Amino acid sequence: MGQDNLSFVLEKAGSVRYEDRPIPPLTSPYDVRVNVRYTGICGSDVHYWTHGAIGSFVVKSPMVLGHESSGVIAGVGDKVSSLKVGDRVAIEPGIPCRRCVRCKEGYYNLCVDMRFAATPPIDGTLAKYYAVPEDFCYKLPESVSLEEGALMEPLAVGVHITRQAQIKQGQSVVVFGAGPVGLLCMAVAKAYGANTIVAVDINEDRLKFATQYAATHSVVSQREPAPDTAARIIKAADLGLGADVAIDASGAEPCIQAGIHVLRTGGSYVQGGMGKSDITFPIGAMGAKELNIKGSFRYNSGDYSTAVGLVTSKRVSVKELITGKVKFTDAESAFQDVKAAKGIKILIEGVQD
Amino acid sequence: MSGGSVDRVSLDISIRETKTNVQPHQNPSFVLRAIKDVAFEDRPVPQLRDAHDVRVHVGQTGICGSDVHYWQRGRIGDFVLNSPMVLGHESAGTVVEVGDQVKNLEVGQRVAIEPGVPCRRCGYCRSGKYNLCADTIFAATPPWDGTLAKYYIVASDYVYPIPDHMTLEEGALVEPTAVAVQIAKVSELRANQTVAVFGCGPIGVLCQAVAKAYGAKKVIGIDIVQSRLEFAKTFGADHAFLPPLAERGVDPIEHAEKVAALIKRECGLEEGPDVVIEATGAEPCIQAGVHLTKKGGLYTQAGMGKENVVFPMTTACIRALTIKGSIRYTAGVYPTAVDLVASGKIDVIRLITTRFRFEEAEQAFDLVKSGRPDVLKVVIEGVQ
Repeated sequence: MGQDNLSFVLEKAGSVRYEDRPIPPLTSPYDVRVNVRYTGICGSDVHYWTHGAIGSFVVKSPMVLGHESSGVIAGVGDKVSSLKVGDRVAIEPGIPCRRCVRCKEGYYNLCVDMRFAATPPIDGTLAKYYAVPEDFCYKLPESVSLEEGALMEPLAVGVHITRQAQIKQGQSVVVFGAGPVGLLCMAVAKAYGANTIVAVDINEDRLKFATQYAATHSVVSQREPAPDTAARIIKAADLGLGADVAIDASGAEPCIQAGIHVLRTGGSYVQGGMGKSDITFPIGAMGAKELNIKGSFRYNSGDYSTAVGLVTSKRVSVKELITGKVKFTDAESAFQDVKAAKGIKILIEGVQD
Repeated sequence: MSGGSVDRVSLDISIRETKTNVQPHQNPSFVLRAIKDVAFEDRPVPQLRDAHDVRVHVGQTGICGSDVHYWQRGRIGDFVLNSPMVLGHESAGTVVEVGDQVKNLEVGQRVAIEPGVPCRRCGYCRSGKYNLCADTIFAATPPWDGTLAKYYIVASDYVYPIPDHMTLEEGALVEPTAVAVQIAKVSELRANQTVAVFGCGPIGVLCQAVAKAYGAKKVIGIDIVQSRLEFAKTFGADHAFLPPLAERGVDPIEHAEKVAALIKRECGLEEGPDVVIEATGAEPCIQAGVHLTKKGGLYTQAGMGKENVVFPMTTACIRALTIKGSIRYTAGVYPTAVDLVASGKIDVIRLITTRFRFEEAEQAFDLVKSGRPDVLKVVIEGVQ
């Protein structure tokens, strides 16, 4: 076709096109160039596609989409020591500044100058090639496919959320939202020793999948006061005084409220999902029950390698979440399917030569 | 000062006349050429390596035991002097040049220098433990040049502005203060604890002062030199303890248990202190320290001495002690150290017992090497 670096570009809300862009140079001797082979799509990608913005991040000029990718190393900088051309890798798509206090404390996901793929104005990974520092690529063992490699990003999100919750052997965990992130949180919680894992969702098909996948129980959300939802969950899963851990992977206000009410005293709550910015929050229950409440944002040190390790050791399986694959030239159809909540993870194949 | 005439080392190093216009004294440097062999050299003015670098005109430099150790032994552990190296790492100075991307500093600002810059890319750096980065560029750790020169190049996020009321001498003392702040961080020091510190050298007394600043209920300083204990009582220690030396033929561990019991009795502690900080590296102190720590307490090894010691391991196990090592500093530690000095919570100037001019650097090292008990911190002024 004579194209150097075919890319899938969001021009503005609702308008995507294919464009040939220059092959990304290696701007640092520590960089590698990856030939992208699979890219998954997430709610945030769809949100930029439909609205052109998330909060203060606004698409002001055309931007390549995609951030959940795997690929094959196509070029390496002079100082790259752990990767070579031909290596199969999962890409961690957010590059921090490495100089600010958050970075040096180990919270690089909170770096103010973070450059994150497909968060404006930084281009994403839905192109033939993507350049990234060596330490943000994770080599996949032979037993892990490139398709599974594209699931490392959402799995790393799940690992980070679960680590925030500090799940211990034998604990009970309620996960609100049985989409990809919620499901992966359930799988990681199970790998970390949780005995009771309750999936909560409005979608019964997703709940059915969840119980086949990693959940021990499932509860359908209904329109009712949050304490009633919590009581139903506690009863359905025999949670006694309440759950040890509640994870919200939905962003939905009723779920957040139910999450606080479903916890026992001293329990832990982690907010992973993103929905309405300001909600009505059961602060009285939070205080009186002395809950530990944490936010969770993306991933930081150790999450990606943990993700790869969990899949390699087969403590977590991600294959089941891949419900479809489309060609690079059909990328927009994948966005449409995800927007319609069809399937779980749809992968876009890399550019064919 | 040692007796005899002091040889003034002149900076009029003979410069061979060349046809080009050679500028003498561009960057006078105090260089360790080989074991026990130091000399002044006029080196080229160092250049910024990238847009994030700054160049500092070094104003004051303190000397530490490690500097003396490289001078006398040429190595510490795996770090071996293989080629000439500028000495010094405890410095403060004035920024004279900034790279294009430097946002936090301006030319003319006075700064304390953090002497170790890590790689920023390895697992340790990324997980908040940059003090453990194997590829750290650390001033005056071979092969990296130190700060005892007119100029020093460093990444802009590893220098910290000091307020106008702080002197450059205090700025130089920020480094050992930061060591103490890191020890405090590792030791989880907080208000209302009882803390015992073995060693009343600069690091020991700084740990005592930091413990006090953090609200410790009782701080105990321990040393075998009475004059150091006297100073410690004026600095941060509530209680100073002089342990008896072991009698001939007594089992060292028996002696250590006896010392621990004596400290508890004299300081009114039924259980031992919550935290023991070992800042000597001396085997008898390590042994006494483990026996002293209360059950479930925390013991931090800060001092460096013999590599292998007889360690009361079963005691550590049965008493469920937490035993940690502390090395250098991590994120947030330098700013805290600057703040402790700037706010007057720690009066570091009182640690300086002797001052030297740059050209007297070798005498300064001789003085520290002498191990005289009345010498605490020695500082060397920068090149004017």
